[in-house]
This record gives sequence, C-alpha cells and structure tokens, in this order.
Amino acid sequence: MNRTVPAWIRTSALAAYLFLYLPLLVVVVFSFNDSKLNAEWVGFTTAWYAKLFRNGEMLIAARNSLLIALVASIVSTFLGTMAGFALHKYRMRMLPVLVVAPIAIPEILMGVALLMFFVMLNITLGLVSIALSHIAFCIGYVALVVRARLAGMDESLVEAARDCGATPLEAFRYVTLPLILPGVIAGSLMAFTLSIDDFVITFFTAGASASTLPLQIYSMVKIAVTPEVNAISTLLLLLTLLLITVAARIAPGLLRMND
Amino acid sequence: MTAHTRRALLAAALCTAVLAACGKKEEPAPAKSAPAETKAAAKPTGTLNLYNWNNYIAPETVERFEKEFNAKIVQTFFSDNEEMLAKLAAGATGYDILVPTSNALEVLIKKGDLQPLDHSKLPNLKNMKPELLDTPFDPGNKFSVPYAYSTTVIGFNDKRMKAAGMEPRGFEVLFDPKVACKVKGHITVLDSPDEVFSAAFIYLGIDPNTTSNDDYKKAAEAIKKAKPCWAAFNSSSYIKEMSAGNMWLALGYSVDFFQANQDAAAAKQDFKIVSVIPTQGAVLSVDNMVIHKSAPNPVLAHAFINFMMEGKNAAELSNLIGSGNANAAAMEFIKPEVKANVSVFPDAETMKKLRQLRLLPAAQRQERGRLWTEIKVR
Amino acid sequence: MAGPPLAYLIVFFAIPTLLMVVASFRVAGEFGGLAPLRSENADWNLSLNSYARFFETGLYLELFAKSLVYALVTTVLCLVLAYPVAWLIAHSAKKYRDLLLLLVILPFWSNFLIRVYAWMIILGPEWALARVLNAVLGLVGIGPVTLMFSPFAVIVVLVYVHLPFMVLPLYANLEKHDPTLLDAARDLGAPAWQRFRYITWPLSLPGVFAGSALVFIPAFGIFAVPDLVGGTDGIMIGNVIKQQFLEARDWPFGSVLSIVLTVSALVLTGLAALAARPRRSAA
Repeated sequence: MNRTVPAWIRTSALAAYLFLYLPLLVVVVFSFNDSKLNAEWVGFTTAWYAKLFRNGEMLIAARNSLLIALVASIVSTFLGTMAGFALHKYRMRMLPVLVVAPIAIPEILMGVALLMFFVMLNITLGLVSIALSHIAFCIGYVALVVRARLAGMDESLVEAARDCGATPLEAFRYVTLPLILPGVIAGSLMAFTLSIDDFVITFFTAGASASTLPLQIYSMVKIAVTPEVNAISTLLLLLTLLLITVAARIAPGLLRMND
Repeated sequence: MTAHTRRALLAAALCTAVLAACGKKEEPAPAKSAPAETKAAAKPTGTLNLYNWNNYIAPETVERFEKEFNAKIVQTFFSDNEEMLAKLAAGATGYDILVPTSNALEVLIKKGDLQPLDHSKLPNLKNMKPELLDTPFDPGNKFSVPYAYSTTVIGFNDKRMKAAGMEPRGFEVLFDPKVACKVKGHITVLDSPDEVFSAAFIYLGIDPNTTSNDDYKKAAEAIKKAKPCWAAFNSSSYIKEMSAGNMWLALGYSVDFFQANQDAAAAKQDFKIVSVIPTQGAVLSVDNMVIHKSAPNPVLAHAFINFMMEGKNAAELSNLIGSGNANAAAMEFIKPEVKANVSVFPDAETMKKLRQLRLLPAAQRQERGRLWTEIKVR
Repeated sequence: MAGPPLAYLIVFFAIPTLLMVVASFRVAGEFGGLAPLRSENADWNLSLNSYARFFETGLYLELFAKSLVYALVTTVLCLVLAYPVAWLIAHSAKKYRDLLLLLVILPFWSNFLIRVYAWMIILGPEWALARVLNAVLGLVGIGPVTLMFSPFAVIVVLVYVHLPFMVLPLYANLEKHDPTLLDAARDLGAPAWQRFRYITWPLSLPGVFAGSALVFIPAFGIFAVPDLVGGTDGIMIGNVIKQQFLEARDWPFGSVLSIVLTVSALVLTGLAALAARPRRSAA
C-alpha cells in the first residue's frame, strides 16, 4: 500500500490545521486570564473556573446543550442515513427537496416557522421542541454526506455478494454498511456539532425556561464575554474529547472500518 | 405519487394528529395549579420565571429573594427589546415577569399582553420617584412599575480625545465629518435604528418621536454623511473595544460606559472612559417590570415586584452596573461615586433635555427599516 | 427506506415552511407579526405588497449580489484550504486517520460566538498580526489598515466557521478512491498534476459538490458573523432578514426575503449539481 503524501500537501494541511486551532488556543489560554475584560493578557488565574461551578444557570445550559445534541445527532443519523440511501437508490421527487431545503433556508426563517407551528399545536416550548427542531436540520447534512459516499461506492461489490448468495439484508449489513460507515460517522459528528452550536433556531423554539449554552452566551455577548465563557468552552471541549475517546475504546472497530 | 411518498404522507398526517393531541393535553395542567396556589400558605412561594436583560439584576438580590420566599428564580435573558417582542409575538408563553423599556411597554399594553397590577400587593410603591410614575405610556401605573433607567450618551477615551484635540460635548463630535473623521476608524455607534436615528434627530434639532417621512430622510442623509468616519455599528462588544483601547469614541448606554470605565481601571489602563450627555439632549430609556397575562405564578410575581421596590434591593443594581434608579428610597444605599456620576443621575436641568422614545407606527417602522438597510448597504 | 425521514421532514419542515409562504402573502400586524387571516369584516388579509416592495428599489438586489459574492469567495477558499487536509487524512495510515479527522471537528465543538470573539482579538489593532502587517505596509507607504470590522474580517471568519463542513464530505469521498487507478497512471508516466486533474479531481466531484453546498448555502444566509465583525459596510442579506423579524417586525416582508434567498440558493445549487454529476462514461 503505497500512499506517500507530497510535501506541499503536508505543509498546506498543516497550515490549515494551524488556522483551525489558533482561535481555539486563544480561547483556552484566555480562560486563565486574570481580566474580566479579556481583551489582553493580564495574568494567570483559575478563578473563572471556580466561578463557573457556582454559576448554576451556565451549568444547566451546558447540560441541556449536551443532552439535546446527543438526542439530535442519534436520531438524525438514523433518519439521515436512510434518507441518503433513498436519495442514492431511488428517483424521488419530494425527498431531495425536503432534505436539502432545511440547509438552504435561512435558519431564522425555520426558527420562526417552527415556533409558529409548535404554538399552533399548543406544544409547550422547551428541550423537546428544541431537539425536534435540531433533528429537522441535521438530517440533511447526514444525508448529503452519506449520499456522496454512496455515489463513489462500487456497486459491483454488492452485486458480487448477492451473486454469492447473500440476502439483501446480509449484503447491506456486511458489504454496504461497512463501506459507508465512515460517511455515516462523519455525518453524525457533523450533526452533533451543529446541534451544540445552534443559536438562531434554538432561540425561537426554546420557550420560557429552557436555556442552552449558545443562548446563554449570546445574552452575555451584549455586555462583554467574560473569561467564564472561555472556561466553559474549554471544559466542553475536554468533555467531548473524552466522549469520543470512550466511544473509540468501546467499539474499537467503529471508527476504523476501512478496507 | 410513489408508494414511498404516499406512506410517508400518511405517517406525517398521523404524527401531526398525535402532536396536536399531545399538545392539547398540556392545557389543563396550569389550571390545576392555580387553585392550589391560593389554598397554599399566606406567603407566596414557588418558581418565578423572569425574562430580563442580561446582567440587569444583582446576584445578591436574587439570592436574598430566593431565601426570603423559599422560591426559585428561573432567569431567561434578552439583549434587545425587539428580540423580546418578537418572541412574544410568535406566541412564546410561560414568563411571569418581563422588563421592557417604555416604548416596548407601550406595545405590550396595546396588544393586551399584560396583567393589571394589584396595587394592594405593592405597598412599596410609595418608595418610587413620583416623576417617573404615571407616565403617558402607562397612566396610573396600571400595568408597570419603573425599575431602572439609562441614557444613550457619548462615551470616549479621555487620553485619545486630548491627543486628537477633541472635546466631546455634543453630537457634532459624531455627526460632523470635519470633527468625527479626526479619529476615523475608532468610532462605533449602537446597532439600533431607534438609537442612531434618534441621535441624528436630536443633532438636527428634530423631535425624535417625529413621524414625518421627510424628517427621516434628513436624518438618513446626516447618518450617511458621517458613516465613513465610523468603524462599526456595534451594540455588543463596544464596551470591550473601548476598555481595550481600540475604540475611542462611541454612541452607547450610560451603564455600558460605567462598566467600561471600571473594566479599564481593573485592567490598569492609562486612560479613563468618560461619558457625557450631549448638549443637544439624549434618549432616556426607562425599563419597567410587568407581569405577563399568562404568568404561571402571579402571586409570587407581585411579591417580587414589591421586593424590588425596597430601597436596599433596588440600590444593588445601581451599585453594580451604574444604572439610574427609579427608587427614591434607594438613593441612600447607592455608592457616592455612582450618585455623583452625572450621566447616571443627571440634574434637573439636564433631565428636561432627555426624551423617551414612543412606539413608532407600522408605516414609519417600514420606512425607517428601508432607510436603515440603505445606510448599511450603500 | 425513505419513509421515516420523509415523514419527519414533512411534519417538521414542509408544513412550517408552508406557513411561511402563506405568511409572505399576509399583512403585517399592527404591532408586528402577522395580522389575523380574516379581518373583522371577514375580508381576507392577503396582499402582494411585500413582494412589490422587494423589487421596488435596486437596494435588495444589490444586497443579494453582495452576499452572493461573499458566499462564493468563502466556498472557494474553503475548498482550497480543505482539499489538502482531506487528501492528507484519506492517505494517512489508518491509525492516524481518526485522530486527524477528530482534530478537524474538535474546534467546532466550542461555541460559535466565542470563536468569533477570539478572532476579534486576533484581528484587533493592538495584536501581533495587525502590528506586523501595518509595519510592513508602512515601509511601502500605505497607511495603517484595520483588519477588524471589514469585509476581510467577515470572509476570514466565514471560512473559519465553515471549513470542517468542506473537509468531511471531501474526505468521505477521497477515502473511497481506488489507489490502483493512481498507481496505474503513475506507472504509465503521468505527472502528479495530470493524475490529479484527470483522475482524482473528477472522481472527487461529488464530494466537492457536497462540501460546497454545505458551505455556500449557510454562508449565503448567515447574519451573526457580519453582525459582529462586519463594520459599517459588512451587511449581508441575512442581517436584513433578521432585522425584518426583530426590529422592523415586518414578518411578511421578512418571509419574502427568505423565500427569495431560498429559491436563489436552490437554483444555484441545482446548477452546480448538474456540473458535478459524476461522469459514468469511462475515463
């Protein structure tokens, strides 16, 4: 298996990674900044983390964000993979439009539309309404990624399996699924990201008492983002890193289903 | 229509029906809790849903209230009146107390979104400053009680202004290109058509509550002339930009400049952030406490409003963020340096020059929106 | 296979959207929002007024064009930056692949607003980047430039926020490419750029398309980024839509803008899809 990577690609990729990480580094480093202002480095302190654990609202918001993201990514990965399949296999008219459109429509439109929809059905706004809204726009992303994956997949492998006597289900489980799994995982990672970060749609569908991290932070943005927010971001990052590591340990083959 | 689509539509119809059924079941629940409240002990308790500006109540005050009434305050935040109104207009419910500014208050009253206040439950009303009660927005304080106020003023970095040979006194420092462009690229104004148009009106000597389209065109022209000297329309991070020393002159809220100055001092900067009420006048924003008509816990809400009208409690906000205080009994609890700040507590002469904004009729809102877009695009 | 996702999307997307389309023909309520469908005298409160307003001045079309340019530039830059990364991950040894992929995703689990704020610090006039740049420009005699509150800042942050959405689909596609094709081409004497142009690039088109769609479309309608770092000139169509729903509270007009935005985005995407159709004919 001869896969050498040319130097210039390696350098550009490295540059891209640096570009990705610089602001993150700023966020983490400045979470220890002894300055409420957080515009320039003043001194080192862990006081903000201490303050964070006394800030009940921030913690609840973080918990809600994680919970919603988990539910949304699981459900949308399921539905999105099915959709990706259907898009690839069948000549459908409605599905492609419905899948792409939530991504094409400005979030704010979807946010208000969903709010009006929930209110008209007298559904109380809260964590559930937020999750339902997130799933709606995550399905599209997963479906597109899965479809791109399927588009390049070699159909003959599936045919070969069928010729060898496999049932459609077996062919799917042992041939197709492993081949598209990287796409599925990639899609679900995307969905989780989108849900945690979402602001606009969540803003309109959250109702009176539900709060997520982006909502909490945006309110503070109007005054000044204190290092407390940097602190919780750092913690959130560590938590998700931990989750992924655990997931990789539990299902060692999960992320490495290549070949 | 393919088999898939037919099945899906059927499923969709079922889902919607189920959701609708689930939804309706929610309704009886609040009704059940109401009789329970009145039968409960004399002292109000429970959960209070407060929809407030961010950083607009001192944490100590919240804690004290929760302890005294064995209650829990659930806070949700907004950063703009329009945000709050948009959410309510789309039908969001479940809030007990809202804190709208006067012109937003007008909208809420006209829409019938508020519960009348039971003055018998608000004995501390006597503490409030009479000049801020019984306003044209809410005659007799039927629905609201004033909470805190701030003014929209000019704030600046004293060191940089001296270096540029500028002495900000009035709006000419923002709107006259000859003056403003001396510090080009270091000026921000609020990202709010309400505030910027009002500032332009006051500069031109026009009443900010005008409804004449011609006046709006004149104001838009003045803004467009000055815009090249400005760096940004910013209502969010301009405080930070000022205390970091990146922005030197801004149109902003008195409470924000108070904060910026404190932050600059904490960061040991070599300049002060000073704010002045422009000679031509300024906009006064009075924020009020109201009870939403669908409030789950109106009894506790009344108790909260009464609690906030106690001198000591009301003073805590002023001491924290430098907001103007509508409470006469609070004045003795306010720190002297806050009391002395003229932008926060203007004297009687200056108070006359301050204007509160009224609700803009729909047609003017549309026209102003179009002009605002034009200002930003061209 | 298509049933469940289709049903979900109909309930939670198609129906709310239909509500919006109807809203664009309705009249704004007196205090904002929507007027009741039927007024007191049982007339239908419907009109084409909002659409008329859109085409009245060239203002909104100008705004659309501007947003389009921003979104296109962002997409192209993302593609240029993401391709090497996706290529690197796809061609890395298996044990590093997950890590590299993870490293792409990780920055984007921090909150979006924080990352924008961090860029505001980095691009601020007092920081190293601006100082160095201005020092260099000063040598050539160009006056000091501010990086923050400018179209430059908007593009930088837009690219930053959308980069992973380009990397992931590209990677998912590149990962499947049959290495023997490239080996064969190399054996036949084709130089690297030819191998890329005639083999890798055409095969990667579906991934390119997926990634581009995932970047272009949200970037076209975004409002938060130009709002925070755009300065006095940095407004995009998304900002005006937000303004219609919040400050102006003119929901019918906001719905009109959103519908035009959606239709134009879909049309452009459709055209791109045609261009990116995988060539089934033998290479």
